[in-house]
Amino acid sequence: MYRGASRYAGPDTACLIMAEKDWKECIKNLKGVVLDMCGVLYDSGEGGGTPIPGSVEAVKRIKASDLQLRFCTNETQATREKFVAKLQRMGFDISVSEVFSPAPATVAILKERNLRPHLLVHDDVLPEFDDVEKTDPNCVVVADAADKFSYQNLNDAFRVLIQLEKPVLFSLGRGRYYKETDGLKLDVGVYMKALEYACDVEAEVVGKPAPMFFQSALTDMGIQPQQALMIGDDLVNDVGGAQNFGMRGLQVRTGKYRPSDEKHPTVTADGYVNDLAEAVDIILKHRGQ
Amino acid sequence: MAMRQALKAVLIDLSGTLHIEDTVVPGAKEALDRLRKAPVAVKFVTNTTKECKRALLERLERLGFSIQEREIFTSLTAARGLVEQRGLRPLLLLDDSALDDFTGIVTSDPNAVVVGLAPDHFNYQMLNKAFQLILDGAPLIAVHKARYYKRKDGLALGPGPFVTGLEYATDTKATVVGKPEKTFFLEALRDLDCKPGEAIMIGDDARDDVGGAQNSGLLGILVKTGKYRAGDEDKISPLPHVTCDSFPQAVDYILEHLI
Repeated sequence: MYRGASRYAGPDTACLIMAEKDWKECIKNLKGVVLDMCGVLYDSGEGGGTPIPGSVEAVKRIKASDLQLRFCTNETQATREKFVAKLQRMGFDISVSEVFSPAPATVAILKERNLRPHLLVHDDVLPEFDDVEKTDPNCVVVADAADKFSYQNLNDAFRVLIQLEKPVLFSLGRGRYYKETDGLKLDVGVYMKALEYACDVEAEVVGKPAPMFFQSALTDMGIQPQQALMIGDDLVNDVGGAQNFGMRGLQVRTGKYRPSDEKHPTVTADGYVNDLAEAVDIILKHRGQ
Repeated sequence: MAMRQALKAVLIDLSGTLHIEDTVVPGAKEALDRLRKAPVAVKFVTNTTKECKRALLERLERLGFSIQEREIFTSLTAARGLVEQRGLRPLLLLDDSALDDFTGIVTSDPNAVVVGLAPDHFNYQMLNKAFQLILDGAPLIAVHKARYYKRKDGLALGPGPFVTGLEYATDTKATVVGKPEKTFFLEALRDLDCKPGEAIMIGDDARDDVGGAQNSGLLGILVKTGKYRAGDEDKISPLPHVTCDSFPQAVDYILEHLI
């Protein structure tokens, strides 16, 4: 029952195009798991958010198994340190070195290419850019700035870009929306698209679904894409991004999941599970643990 | 050239064609008078997101043009027409100055989103609200999709980027009602009892005025005033029916060759 209309079919194709009912066949070959955070571990919202039931325990169980575990987030509303501290307060067994987030990755690129950014980012992530030269900007970095996405601030970024001979725009992720406790909210991708259209430029995406981003987590674990499973709530960026890189991708029915995701025209997850706890149950059961 | 059907209507762009800001294009008033004596209907068509018809009319009167309100057709008129036709209750992301054109339209409990240019309303909360409505099935109607425009203090984002962002967020396509859309030109001609092949458009924007009109079955005349830049006439396919120095020459061409 192959449902994908157009999808990655590279090495390990037989496994990648497996039907939902037998994604479990591949579990035995797994060496590592990559988890998205918001919408998988917790739901964001007022007061920092709340853990999704069973997820604290699920992380503990993966760590107690023979699988490696890393976290890949497009979270850019806080520094990595503060973000990890928040999850620790929720009870998660997690450390900064296990978390891959776009801001530190962007800082590395800016330094390597001698770029001076105009930042359209959330105030709470600004400290990540403390060491970056920002006067006389020659590129724009856009991240999920939430309330700071005003017409005025977007226009300021636009004016920096339009006066550059060759506009350079970095987008920290390209998500469409995410779920907060009071509803769905527009994500950075929407504002990236607005600036792309205004300036006729294509943004360089740092974070999921960029292959480089998955690569950095896998390199850290020392494993190959076909040995890794991504679990996320964002069908296109988590699941599709991982699949394009040669990993397998599971979608959880938590966070921003919508039933229509399961009949998406271009991305079909290798499997769908109700939540992280169920995913971990199935994985550990099939590994005999 | 192949002889077409007799010309019944002339559509005329406003800003950049009849006037540039507060200056009338030399000879434009007299040329309009000459055109009005010919057996053709005249309509003024413009992409506007901020100015209601009344404001446009006041400016044209101040500049000395004699024009009736019913002769003006704007992208806001087109948006209102679509809203009425489909019985929609729109969330209006419009500048307050444009709301006049939506008098009498029910906007409570919205089931549609109309995006114009509304710097005061293009904030995170309002865009989230629009997004949620569209995700729940509300149609997205764009007054037009201009990338940016020129303001006294420099360039500023137009409606296009915001429409594009909402399209991306919701995986939908906006219905664009302004120039260069075919529906815009057809709606402008509707009450004139005139087929596209019986009409001609005069404007300074090669893509939106001339290209849009010609893709809709009208003829198009490009004038070298307003936003015209050298070489614009070669940037569209098919090429403009004719390119004239300014509005008066365009009128003379019509009177001489098409009537």
